[in-house]
Amino acid sequence: MSKIRNLKISLLLGIMCMFLTLGIAIQINTVKNSTTTVGKTLVENELRDSTLRWKQRYEEAYAELEDKEEELNSLREQVASKDESYGGLTNKLEQYNLLLGNTELIGKGIIITLKDGDSDKVKGYATDYIVHDGDILEVVNALKNAGAEAISVNGQRIISNTGISCVGNVITINGEKVGVPYEIQAIGLTSQLYGSVTMPGGYLELLENAGVQVDVEQVEKETIIIPRYNGIYKFNYATIYE
Amino acid sequence: MIYIAIIIGCIIGAILGAFAPVIPYTYSSYLSIAIVAALDTVFGGIASVIKGNFDLKIFLSGFFGNSILSIALTYLGEKLNVDIYLAAIVVFVGRMFTNLGIIRRYYIDKCVKFIEKKKLEKESKSKEDEDETTETEA
Repeated sequence: MSKIRNLKISLLLGIMCMFLTLGIAIQINTVKNSTTTVGKTLVENELRDSTLRWKQRYEEAYAELEDKEEELNSLREQVASKDESYGGLTNKLEQYNLLLGNTELIGKGIIITLKDGDSDKVKGYATDYIVHDGDILEVVNALKNAGAEAISVNGQRIISNTGISCVGNVITINGEKVGVPYEIQAIGLTSQLYGSVTMPGGYLELLENAGVQVDVEQVEKETIIIPRYNGIYKFNYATIYE
Repeated sequence: MIYIAIIIGCIIGAILGAFAPVIPYTYSSYLSIAIVAALDTVFGGIASVIKGNFDLKIFLSGFFGNSILSIALTYLGEKLNVDIYLAAIVVFVGRMFTNLGIIRRYYIDKCVKFIEKKKLEKESKSKEDEDETTETEA
């Protein structure tokens, strides 16, 4: 009786072990053959690589900027050594920097805030009440037309060669990503700027009708600070024509 | 007898596994947890055989119940984004060590008893020899 029972137990344990090792063998084969983990780490490594590469590029660009600024300083010192024309040249330098957007500015003007419409409240297509790159472009253009002296969008200075473009769900300005809400600051004659953007049939009215949340603030005190352009001007293909 | 059966089972399983098809990678996590559960059950079975309270029903229900429950927990954990299978592994491996301890203790005891028995036999034999010599001398 006990011998039969023993046989039964050992048979059962044997079968169980057979299934166990079968499972282990299948698992080993699966893990060995699968490329999923390898693919995952591959993609991760690629992303990491590209991040590092971009960082390096940024550092290179920054080093270039520092180089140029050093050069500028040395040039200024040279100028300073020649006393007679020094005063006039520094004035000119400041003026040019002002024109290029290389100086931080303060003054009065208006602040326009654009936000995506609330999808619960606004009816219609989502594309209508989302702020697009073109909307910002139109507002900036209207401000320029109204004589704005300096404009920035979310801390990005608008300069002569600023590009505003759409990248998925964010917008790039000067190659930097900016997101909702978009705060457009402009320095100029407050009433003129305000009038030009809020006039009936103007672009802001169109946006508001489409469902975009628009807020325009008039600033009469000189409190609007617009940052300097922190990029570099590069002329690779253009040379001065005489 | 039990160990012979286990070894034979393992060999057959390994041979079969070498020719078995590969399962999709997504299911391999479930298989792995089932393997740990089965391993735990086998150790538990051996330990209970040693203790002498082996029950076929408990053994079989434990094998299937543990495997299915651990697979279900892994699935739930995947849906909830919680690594529940880690808890199952901790429990199974902990029990495995307990069972292994029982098995180890049993065989160590057996070994010690065997050695002592031999010693006793030797002693008694030498005593008998001594007795014999003293008897002849006398």
